Amino acid sequence: MSWLRIKTVVRRHWYVLWRSPNRWFDIAVWPVFDVLLFGSLGAFVAQENTASRAAAPYLLAGIMLFHVLFQCQIAVTTGFMEETWSRNLLNIMTTPITEIEYAAGLALYAGMKLVMAMVTISVVALVTYQFHLDSIGWGLVPIVGILLMVGWAISLFVIGLILRFGQSAEILAWGINFVMLALSGVFNPVTALPGAVQPVAKLFPTTYAFRAMRQLLDGGSIPWSDVAWGYVGAVVFCALGYWFIVRMLSTFRARGYVTRFS
Amino acid sequence: MGAVLDARGLRKRFKDVQAVDGVDLVVHAGERVGLLGPNGAGKTTTLLMLLGAITPDEGDIEIMGHRLPKGRSKAMEEVGFVAGYLPLPDRLRVREALGVFAGFYGLDRAQADDAIDRGLARFRITKLGDRMCMELSSGQRTLVGIVKSSLHQPHLLVLDEPTASLDPDVAMRVRAGLLDICANEGTALLVTSHNMLEVERMCERVVFIAGGRIVADGTPNDVAAMFGHGDLESVFLQLAGNDMDLDEL
Repeated sequence: MSWLRIKTVVRRHWYVLWRSPNRWFDIAVWPVFDVLLFGSLGAFVAQENTASRAAAPYLLAGIMLFHVLFQCQIAVTTGFMEETWSRNLLNIMTTPITEIEYAAGLALYAGMKLVMAMVTISVVALVTYQFHLDSIGWGLVPIVGILLMVGWAISLFVIGLILRFGQSAEILAWGINFVMLALSGVFNPVTALPGAVQPVAKLFPTTYAFRAMRQLLDGGSIPWSDVAWGYVGAVVFCALGYWFIVRMLSTFRARGYVTRFS
Repeated sequence: MGAVLDARGLRKRFKDVQAVDGVDLVVHAGERVGLLGPNGAGKTTTLLMLLGAITPDEGDIEIMGHRLPKGRSKAMEEVGFVAGYLPLPDRLRVREALGVFAGFYGLDRAQADDAIDRGLARFRITKLGDRMCMELSSGQRTLVGIVKSSLHQPHLLVLDEPTASLDPDVAMRVRAGLLDICANEGTALLVTSHNMLEVERMCERVVFIAGGRIVADGTPNDVAAMFGHGDLESVFLQLAGNDMDLDEL
């Protein structure tokens, strides 16, 4: 594993980010409107019913932490897609960089974008609704860890599908976030979901992360069992994502799909 | 002369098409080899297998002693690749793009800057360094692509139709630059082209491939004579099933 090559991947994508105003939407525009949307929903519910004052923190903390998963996933996936859009994939595949080094570089780049997005979202939430995530306390740290791992795992899955099915699978890079948003109990306990969907939601490690978040917001101690289940699920997701992308890369090379992108 | 590339028994099938059917190819240090054949003959598939981008169904590939696919990363440290049809990362300036590839090849910043200056000067395109890659003409892009592929002074340069669609003067600069690299750095060359005259000028050995098989291998003169012709163009036309008398055109 070469640290120089990993740093070079970050540098390559940093150049693209710097020169692409549209890429700043993910880290500077969507987070702002998400805070405004969910913050205003929470404020409205609280106005209507004083017993529902917890709605605003639930919604704001939910959307802010969901951005951890979203930013991590979208940065890795669009980083890879940038190579397909600029037909640069074959150029990269014929250099010494390994798949692991490339993925590590993208994950590092995603981490940098995540920090920028979280600064944006935290400042907007503080200014507009006087809400700050550190009200959750140190329990935030393990929850963020779960969301980071799931974000990486989903990006491996989406990239695998793009390798296998070509650019028609790119829609999943954005679309899969709606699935995660709906089924992870980001804003509400999964018991609020239709009964048939609840078993599926319980398979997602993110469900346990957001449940832990709500318990912390309610002033409880860190729910270690939820955190543990979240990590077990996240490790399984990462293992499945890794297995899937290795399979898809093998198919990609066996069927000569690189010519689709060159 | 040791072999920089040693490929044996390569086969590749895509559904009903046997794209490559038992190709053996050895390229020695400093050798300039043209891989020729009509469209669909299996040239690009062969090149992509040699580069590890496509997995062969059968066969063994070794580059400077590194066996693919396991030794792909080490093997690619010894190889540079450029294709006339491949663009460079479009939102980067030329120097930035070259710096990124230098990093992938393991050159630190100082080594990269030195290699980039040397490469741009060799092809007399230093002034392109600050241009955006997306603004380059196809000729300029090819020249920058060759600089990219030779930054790390590879033992083998693989070029897929490097002069396709280039003006004759630019094609001449490409040829001159490549010959300069081979002469000064001892780099071996494996090049595909549809320009037979160019291959006769650049390559000391040609390998003709048709229907996924090697049908001739030797010096340009020997191969032309083998088919009873005086030049490679006529051999090409014969293999393409288009063996017409040029006077009839």
